[in-house]
Amino acid sequence: MANNPSSSALDAVELGPLPSEIRVRGAVTSAAAPSDHPSVAALVTRFGAGIVRHRVSAGDQTVVWVDPKQSLEILTWLKNDASQLYDMMSDVTGVDYGGASVDVVYQMFSTTHKRALRVRCELPANALEIDSVVGLWKSADWLEREVFDLFGVKFRGHPDLRRILMPDDYAEGNPLRKDFPLRGRFSRAEQTRRALEQDVERFYTATDLKHGGTPQQVTAGGKPAEGVD
Amino acid sequence: MGLGDILPGGGVQKSQGGLFGPGSPTFLTTKLDFVLNWGRANSLWPMPFGTACCAIEMMAAAASNYDLARFGMERMSFSPRQADVLICAGRVPYKLAPVLRRIWDQMPQPKWCVSMGACASSGGVFDVYSMVQGIDTIVPVDVYVPGCPPRPEGLIYGLMMIQEKIRQESLGKHFEHRAEDPATVARPEASEPEIVGLTGPFGNSTQQDQLSGGAVEAGGPGEVRPRKS
Amino acid sequence: MATRNVELSVGRNPEMGVGGLPTASPLAPFDIPEPAFDTEEMLINIGPQHPATHGVLRLVCELDGETVLSVTPHIGYLHSSFEKLGEYRTWNQIVPLTDRMDYLAPLIYNCAYVMSVEKLMGIQVTERCKIVRVLCMEMDRIFGHLLWLGTTAIDVGAFTPFLYAFQQREKIYKLHEALTGARITTSATRVGGMMADLPPGWIEGLTKFLDEFPKTLNEVDRLLTGNQIHIGRTQGVGAISAADAINCGLTGPNLRAAGVPYDVRKDRPYYDYETYDFEVPVGEHGDCYDRYLCRMEEMRQSVRILRQAIARLPGGPINVDDPNISLPSKTDCMSDMESMIHHFKLITEGIKAPEGDCYLAVEGSKGELGMYVVAEEGSTKPVRWRVRPPSFVNLSTIEKLAKGHLVSDLIMINASLDIVLGEIDR
Repeated sequence: MANNPSSSALDAVELGPLPSEIRVRGAVTSAAAPSDHPSVAALVTRFGAGIVRHRVSAGDQTVVWVDPKQSLEILTWLKNDASQLYDMMSDVTGVDYGGASVDVVYQMFSTTHKRALRVRCELPANALEIDSVVGLWKSADWLEREVFDLFGVKFRGHPDLRRILMPDDYAEGNPLRKDFPLRGRFSRAEQTRRALEQDVERFYTATDLKHGGTPQQVTAGGKPAEGVD
Repeated sequence: MGLGDILPGGGVQKSQGGLFGPGSPTFLTTKLDFVLNWGRANSLWPMPFGTACCAIEMMAAAASNYDLARFGMERMSFSPRQADVLICAGRVPYKLAPVLRRIWDQMPQPKWCVSMGACASSGGVFDVYSMVQGIDTIVPVDVYVPGCPPRPEGLIYGLMMIQEKIRQESLGKHFEHRAEDPATVARPEASEPEIVGLTGPFGNSTQQDQLSGGAVEAGGPGEVRPRKS
Repeated sequence: MATRNVELSVGRNPEMGVGGLPTASPLAPFDIPEPAFDTEEMLINIGPQHPATHGVLRLVCELDGETVLSVTPHIGYLHSSFEKLGEYRTWNQIVPLTDRMDYLAPLIYNCAYVMSVEKLMGIQVTERCKIVRVLCMEMDRIFGHLLWLGTTAIDVGAFTPFLYAFQQREKIYKLHEALTGARITTSATRVGGMMADLPPGWIEGLTKFLDEFPKTLNEVDRLLTGNQIHIGRTQGVGAISAADAINCGLTGPNLRAAGVPYDVRKDRPYYDYETYDFEVPVGEHGDCYDRYLCRMEEMRQSVRILRQAIARLPGGPINVDDPNISLPSKTDCMSDMESMIHHFKLITEGIKAPEGDCYLAVEGSKGELGMYVVAEEGSTKPVRWRVRPPSFVNLSTIEKLAKGHLVSDLIMINASLDIVLGEIDR
């Protein structure tokens, strides 16, 4: 903040989240870093190059970065292998550092072995696509929809990939991306106008209920919604 | 306190048995306005539009400790068609805005609106992309109850202010206060000119009046009408 | 709670009604031809403004007669963008946002958030602070379950438990108010400690509450547990198997009612929960009635934990003694130059975090409440603050739970999941 020429606190809000002065990301991380987490050693021996790197964060939490191309294969193994059995997918979320990539983060827990593991996949910002894990954990259903809604990450094979928190025809983009301003892209007047023009009965159609098969393309009044890429 | 004790002008000849007891007068004289307002003010049916934290305080106000029933608000009317006072308690995001507007439109005249809490009144701490910055940009508000959330006493005080406001109304000015175009009552959506009026440069809050039902008819963006008293 | 001690003998057998009397009319076996009407499924919309959805949830149901064929929840009607807002706030400024997320058990959220940040920064809080937070969290577990009890009882047509529950909640409101100055939006915690130490007489007030509360709980127990109407509305409704419950991500009482003894307090212990003597109630049928029993028992266990925590509450400081984390006292601030500088730096810049990410789960009143914070080196604001919302994941199972039940059962199933929309929509 010191070298930022903002004159008042309100300006700082307008500027958005500022990068901190020292910007070292993953500096303490290396694939060779020792970890006594039994899953990490097994993952590295089994998948080799599929495990990009791993580290211990916040004292005792093991994080593994995996190759997004192999993510489904690795996660399937983590769920089904007798030595792993991560049967509980606690959380699926995204992290945007404001750089060229968006991370998808999986928090897993094994009720058999009482172990937690965090798996992250770094996706390039211009190709935000990853395999869905709904087939493995049903809990990922809404969580992946939320990541799609707020980050714009597409989950291949998700049965019902629609916006979940924002309205279906929301045209301002993906709110949790760093390039999205806090107050949205449109003026307040325009936001109010769009809000009042919403059809509050929109979801009555049976086609909306009968999801399944291919992900539904979000449309507003017949035309594809802008901002949903 | 019976009606006889508070009637203006001393229109009742008081007898031993009181107003309704044995030997009571068979007629009384008073102002029609007074009787009407007395009845209205003491039998308000609130429509609880509770969304967030404030709704819990509203429930606390209705529960045994604070007992809203003392003020004739025994019956929380969850149906807008049988309600007089809209209590908007909690944050209202843009996705909910048309729902709020429709519920307000569905309520029959005469009707009043309480904006409970900082979020409903101004957006509160949520100066963000998804949040309506005060419900007075959508519906006309009679009483704002400050607080985050307001205590039940605060809500009760706000409702007492509504009662006070009702006592000031006059049937002679009914059409000035309460008349509505039948075509616009309980319609599904706000009309285009209405939305334009609501989304003017200062929003609706500087322009609303009772006659227009919250919206300024026809006035395009940029036109600020003198505020009705 | 190994076995259910109350069984409604007639259950959901369609041929037997309440009291074991046959409901099927003897005329039924005659061949009545199917009427040649066109039938079609009906769409019914419940919400977003509906008293039985416990907030601004919207359920679109597809019905065949009165049977639910499918139910599609639509959420997001209370999306307040907490997580985006958190990226613009310093670590301590986020605390007031957390209790507006779950306004039914605000202190659990306050505590969970700062615990996660403290773990990220490697801060060890004082022993007194730990116990005080345990007191806060267990008190709010009762607070949250009480509201659930009251509103759910209303949904099945019993109004008295609501009034009983709110009488007890008023007592916790008073304790909140004495501790923090607010009734619901407590914002009581700070990174490295608490906003303030316990006020004088607070422990006595809590003890008094603990003495009186089980009596009310037993009264509600008598009203509902053996109540034939309540049993008929809940037993066998919305059941889920243990394996499905884990796979669907159910946590908290909803998961334990299905027979999975997963409790974050036992399985991933924090704040020495492993040293407290308490049971984790586990159901076996996974239906609404077992969820009810689990929550009732959890309140009793919370009372046990609270009594033990009060007994071991030590003296000493409540905030960590690090000028880079905790604010100095106002007296020091006014008289000591160094304290004033620290105060100024902390207020204007905030606490600096090391690089890394941290996911910390606590047992909230709704289930596993995870706080995931991501920081860059020296950042005073989170890069990402993510809440793993228990009721969000719990609600996503409603489609599975309600299929094949009646519409009135859907209301009960929705209530039994104990959702709070502020946290689902965030």
